[in-house]
This record gives sequence, C-alpha cells and structure tokens, in this order.
Amino acid sequence: MSPHIVSAFDEDLRAITARIAEMGGLAEELLTTALEAVETRDSDMAEQVILRDKRLDRLEHEVDDLCVRVIALRQPMAQDLRLVVAALKMSTVLERIGDLSKNIAKRSKALAQAQRINLSGSVVRMGQQTLRLLNEVLDAFSSRDVALAVSVWRRDIEIDEFYNSLFRELVTYMMEEPRIIGLGSQLLFIAKNLERIGDHTTHIAELVYWIVEGEPLGDDRPKGAPVSMDGILG
Amino acid sequence: MSPVKMTARGVNVYYGDNHALRDVSVDILDKTVTAFIGPSGCGKSTFLRCLNRMNDTIPTARVEGSITLDGQDIHDPAVDPVQLRARVGMVFQKPNPFPKSIYDNVAYGPRIHGLARDRAELDAIVERALTRAALWNEVKDRLSSPGTGLSGGQQQRLCIARAIATSPEVLLMDEPCSALDPIATAQIEELIDELRQTYSLVIVTHSMQQAARVSQKTAFFHMGQLVEQGDTTKIFTNPSDRRTQDYITGRFG
Repeated sequence: MSPHIVSAFDEDLRAITARIAEMGGLAEELLTTALEAVETRDSDMAEQVILRDKRLDRLEHEVDDLCVRVIALRQPMAQDLRLVVAALKMSTVLERIGDLSKNIAKRSKALAQAQRINLSGSVVRMGQQTLRLLNEVLDAFSSRDVALAVSVWRRDIEIDEFYNSLFRELVTYMMEEPRIIGLGSQLLFIAKNLERIGDHTTHIAELVYWIVEGEPLGDDRPKGAPVSMDGILG
Repeated sequence: MSPVKMTARGVNVYYGDNHALRDVSVDILDKTVTAFIGPSGCGKSTFLRCLNRMNDTIPTARVEGSITLDGQDIHDPAVDPVQLRARVGMVFQKPNPFPKSIYDNVAYGPRIHGLARDRAELDAIVERALTRAALWNEVKDRLSSPGTGLSGGQQQRLCIARAIATSPEVLLMDEPCSALDPIATAQIEELIDELRQTYSLVIVTHSMQQAARVSQKTAFFHMGQLVEQGDTTKIFTNPSDRRTQDYITGRFG
C-alpha cells in the first residue's frame, strides 16, 4: 500500500498497529505463562500473570484513545477506516484473552495445592494448541495474510473438539472419584477459558479478513457439536 | 430504486486537441444525490457541464456520445438549450447573484420562461423558492435589497432559490460549498437532502466527507476517465478499484 500524502497519518496508523502487536505479544505471553503455571504448579508464575495483565488493560485504553483521535482528526476511509475499527475491536478481544489467561493463572494456584491428576496434562496440551492458533492469527494480522487467517478460523474446531472430549473425560473421572470434584471443576473451568480464547482467536481471524477484503468472512465456520452427555449420565 | 432520470453513454469531450473526457457512461437516478469526485482536472466538472450543455458556450469544445433526459437525446436539434437549462438547473462554485434585488434574482427565471401570469403568481413562486432554499425567513422583510448584500452562505442559498424557481427536474451543483463556512455548508447540505425528495441532484465536490454525507451514489473520475461508480457507502468503505482507494484514503495527488 502506497504511503499517504500526509505522512503523519501513516505514523498514526503505524502507532495503532504497533500497539495492537504489543497487546498481541503480551496476550501470548500471559497465556504461555499461565499454562506453565498450570504445568509446573508454580504460584509465583501465576502471580506474574496477574500483575502483567494490568499492562494489557492500559494498552487497551491507549489503542482506544489513538483510534478515536485518528477518526476525529483524519477521517480515515476504506481500508484505513477498517483498520481503525478492527483495531478498536481487537484491543477489546486481546484484553479479554488477557483476562481469561489471568483466570487460568488464578485457578492454577488452587491446582498447585491439590494432588496432581493426569488430566491436567491434557488441559495443558489443549492450551498449547490454543496458543499456536493465537500465535498464527497475530502473524496473520501483522502480515495481512488472509490465507493464514482463514486457516486459523477453520482450525478452531480442533479446540472445540478438544474441549468436548476433555469435558467428557473430566466428568467421567469426577463421577468415579468424587474426592477430586473440586480439582476437576477447576480444570473444567480452565478448559472452558481456553475454548473461549479459541473463539476470540477466530474473531481476530475474521477481523484480519475484513481489513483486507472489506467483506465479512461469512458464518459457515465449522463448529463442534455442543457437549453431549450421552454415555456419561446414562 | 429510483428510476433513471438521465443517461450518458460513451461521452467524449475535446477542448481543441485536448481529450478531456474519455468514454464516460453513467446513469443519473431521479430523487437521488449523485456525487462526482476526483482530483482537479479529472473531468468531473467537464462532465457535469455536459448534462445541461454548458459546454456549448465554449467554442473549442466538442462533445461526442449520447446524453438523454427522460429518454430524449439532449443534443437533438429539437431541444432548445435554454429550455433544457430550465429543466436541468445549475449552481456554481462561487455564489453569483445578479446585481439585482433578492426578489428579482429569484423572479428572473420564471419571468423569462413565462411561468407566472401575474404579480401574485410570481410572488408565490418567489416565496416558495426562497422557502425551499431555507432563506425565506432571513430575507422576507428585505426582498428589494440587493442580493449581493447577503452573506456568502445566504448568497449561495439565493442562487439555489434562483435555480429551483423554474422548477427544474435536475439540479447540477459545481462545488456549491467551497466558498462557505462550516455552518453555511451544513445548511446547504441539509437543503440538498431536502431537495432530494423532489429533484435529481448531481454535485461535484472536492470534499470527500461532503460527498459521503450528502450523496447516495458516487462516481470517481481520474484523468478523464470514470474509474468507478456505485453506492456511496460501498465507494467509501470498500471501493473495488485501487485508484479509488488511493484517492479517497489520501494516497495520491
């Protein structure tokens, strides 16, 4: 894309993109650390996530201020306008991902105090897969790579399926072993948070597509079936 | 969708050897505001002036192609250009009231076209035109003062009143707000929106925001060509042509 005649306009748009990239990097970092906290039962790491999340909240406000300023002062059009509107939404989405990661970190502190169960490894694996998608969608945003964005969008179903199978396993496990219901519920909530992060990731993929193409990605995304209780509560 | 009021097909304009407009085809819809945008010298004003044969007054100008009003070719020998301009009125960039009273400015067209049988009828036409141009309340007590004594925004509304006094079907506006302050501009834009109920309007503007605010259809001209035309919302949010995108986002001069 050729530069604007008014170069300060380009600088404003670059500043918005840079803040979003920073938020994305921070969201990845929070999720990575939260997953490590779950895996290593390290409460200090969990605490770190909770503290770092404040920076993400501040960045969200900075992005919003920048976007409002650009709209008021420069009246962006077409792709420029779509970038600014998408940045407003992405800042909200990334802040939410930070909140969900923080919530995972908080729950990891509770997990660290209880006995270790096998299924926590599965939850961490689900988290790593979610993290990969988040990583790719942020790459898709910085390189405006529509094909990569669409690929992420399609693969969210893997996260949904992972969640469904974990849900069934955890419920089965808790029925057999009522003593671990407290622990199992924590893991279930963590898995649900990861599933939500996957949804936010597809939302970012849709925004990347919209910035570039100017039209919505459509709503025929492959989705997992809602969790079935068949065979569990017979 | 509104019916088509005017059509242009394969219009080429030459000023001497200069090929100013290349193969332009466009439909102007009734009861719709169509905006022409594009950089200076792109041909948008030239094309606007084709629509009521204003280019006839330039000796070196040559217009080719077909332009119709309600299906009739406006270059047909049977069409009187003066009558045509009563049906396709024009408002210019600089307010240009006649050096006459406010009343006579508005009454001028109806008089030469014989639209009023007596003074009372003429009074009614003048009042209606000034009211529609949102100027009546400001000037009703000084109709005999000179039109040139009004403020810039009032003068432009006077020119709009003069243009609509002959009950035109199409109103062409060439940069109607470029000499006006933001308040007067907003009043003209409100007026354009109001006039759209009755007329077909075509506006040439350098202000992209103005085109986006007042029009339903937009056509983008560049270097004598019509690059892209379509719904205003589409042109300003997701244009198809790279040149349109570069122009509206401020990327080339």
